[in-house]
Amino acid sequence: MPTSAYLLLGAALFCMGVFGVLTRRNAIGVLIGVELMTNAVNLNLIALSRANGHLTGQAFALFSLALTVAEVIVGLAIVLLLYRSHRSVLTDSAVEMKG
Amino acid sequence: MNIASPITLAAVAVMAPLATFLIIGLIAPLRRSGKPAAWVGILGATTSTVAAALLVVDGRSDILIADWLGAGGKFFASIGFQVDGISASMLLVVSLVAWCVQVFSLGYMSDETPAGLGRYYTWHSLFLFSMNGLVMSPNALQLFLCWELVGLASYLLIGFYFRKPSAGRAAVKAFWITKLADIGLGAGLVALYVLTAKASPDGLGSFDWSPQVAQAIGTGGATVVAGLFFVAVMGKSAQFPLHIWLPDAMEGPTPVSALLHAATMVAAGVYLVVRAYPLFQAAPDVLLFMTYLGAWTAIFAAVIATVQTDIKKVLAYSTCSQLGYMVSGLGAGSLFGGYFHLFTHAGFKALLFLGAGALIHAVHSNELTDMGGLWRKMKLSGTAFILGALALAGVPGLAGFFSKDTILEALHASGQTVPWLMLLLAAGLTAFYMTRVVALALFGKPGHHTEHAHEAPASMLIPVLLLAVTAVGAGYMGGPLAKMVGAEYAFHWSMTGIIATSLGLLGIAAGWAIYGARIVTAEQLAVFAPIGNFIRASAVDRSAAWVYRNAMLGLGSGIAWFDRYVVDGVMNLTAWLAMSGGQQLRTFQSGRAGDYVYAVLVGVVLLVAAGLWNA
Repeated sequence: MPTSAYLLLGAALFCMGVFGVLTRRNAIGVLIGVELMTNAVNLNLIALSRANGHLTGQAFALFSLALTVAEVIVGLAIVLLLYRSHRSVLTDSAVEMKG
Repeated sequence: MNIASPITLAAVAVMAPLATFLIIGLIAPLRRSGKPAAWVGILGATTSTVAAALLVVDGRSDILIADWLGAGGKFFASIGFQVDGISASMLLVVSLVAWCVQVFSLGYMSDETPAGLGRYYTWHSLFLFSMNGLVMSPNALQLFLCWELVGLASYLLIGFYFRKPSAGRAAVKAFWITKLADIGLGAGLVALYVLTAKASPDGLGSFDWSPQVAQAIGTGGATVVAGLFFVAVMGKSAQFPLHIWLPDAMEGPTPVSALLHAATMVAAGVYLVVRAYPLFQAAPDVLLFMTYLGAWTAIFAAVIATVQTDIKKVLAYSTCSQLGYMVSGLGAGSLFGGYFHLFTHAGFKALLFLGAGALIHAVHSNELTDMGGLWRKMKLSGTAFILGALALAGVPGLAGFFSKDTILEALHASGQTVPWLMLLLAAGLTAFYMTRVVALALFGKPGHHTEHAHEAPASMLIPVLLLAVTAVGAGYMGGPLAKMVGAEYAFHWSMTGIIATSLGLLGIAAGWAIYGARIVTAEQLAVFAPIGNFIRASAVDRSAAWVYRNAMLGLGSGIAWFDRYVVDGVMNLTAWLAMSGGQQLRTFQSGRAGDYVYAVLVGVVLLVAAGLWNA
């Protein structure tokens, strides 16, 4: 398989992630969008790593996965707190920062 | 005599009061104990007096100058001791009067609480240190520092009874008026430094007052410097119209008035002129101004003194008047005349004040009318007071006669007829008002205050009698003193002397006729009541208050307006701009997370586009 195919898949995944983040009102949906974007990046790292013939990118992707796990935990904690304080997980409900 | 070097003696005389000041001031239990603190203070004054006396006997001149205030390896100021005839004799006068006053205070201040007495002697030691430092100054800068310290000590001592509102006000008034005048001394120092720096090859100025400096800066420069110095002299030595603080300063304890506001501190201005005389000699305009202003002050204050009912106020105005004599004599070109009068005046005026203190202590009142008939109760203090009064009145043979005669003859010789006549008239008035005081306080009708009066205790009598000796004898010191100053003096009768003496005797006769023998009845005297009321209305004091209220407060409110509306206005405008800018910007903030993500996305797209565009 040519590298471009992986990169195209990664780009498609990234765009889906951005679309999800922008359109979802549900905070969990937004979080899933963010996950899609990180994994698109990971895919790019691995594909380019394979194309260039050394392992730095793959190793980096492993670290990235570990970090993503931590990020999801924090993100879910935020969602949980959002639900507790607003009785809802809709991002529209949290507009305290309105100027 | 070769006990110690002149510099060592000078250092001892200056530093002993500083040591006592620090000891009493810093060791609180000692200060609060009262009497022991007083004895420590007196010990310091005794040390100074002995050192000063040895210095005068020693007779050698010397100077010690230490570099001070250096920058970049160069020193532009120095500090030290200048020992010569003038400073040694002045040091003795200051220390001796201070000693007398401190001993006198033991009796006079006996009603004071121990803590108050300790505070009193702390300030006295500070004063003596500052004044001795001023006297020994080798240059104008050190003199300026000590001058300000002396002013501080004066403020603290005038306001000694600080629980009394009038004493607090008097202290503040004295401080502000002398500080206003001291701007002249500060500006004069700057002018002196700049002018000497311009004249010197290495561009370094000096604060010296030597004839070489006077020559280097020329007549124009000397006029500026001497003129500015004289402004400070007018404040410190209570010359018209800045004399208004001195009568109010009588709110302080009477011994303080004797030391600071009669004998020594107010003479500091005259002493400055004596020290910086080369500069003044190079400025004939300033000297002429001094001659007239001094003469005017002498007669003006003498007129006011004739109507005062408070014994201390009479003496205060008398001090203004006598300082006018000194200033006028110095202006007429007689360095010795001015200094000689300072010398004799210090003795007999301190005597008069301490004598007045003894009388006040006996009747617990300053009013002349409350005294009356004290002569029978207080023979010794009374005699001493009369001797002082006669010395001040210029009775031949006593101290004031010789020095006043020297000044009057100097004015006559310099051809200044108008000031000469004014001073002659003032001499007659002096005799008149002193006779009035003596007649009313010692021989007048006894009031109920005098019933319980008694002779002063020994601690008060000893200084008074010692000063009485100087009031009689100081005039005969003219020859030796002239030699110390570097002048010639030998007394001889002249036209001026005869006129002044006759006027003085006439003044005494008139004073006795009106207030002693009461040839003139009170009804006949009432003809002069409007004049008396006019003088008592203290026009100068009122106009000074008016100037203060209108000019100073007007200027102050102008500056306040500028501060409130211009300076604060700029600040408020800046704040308003930031506020309203923020108000505009806050509408962008929706608070919805999605909107921010959109903004980030748009930003990323724009950045990428910009990168592609430039690539």
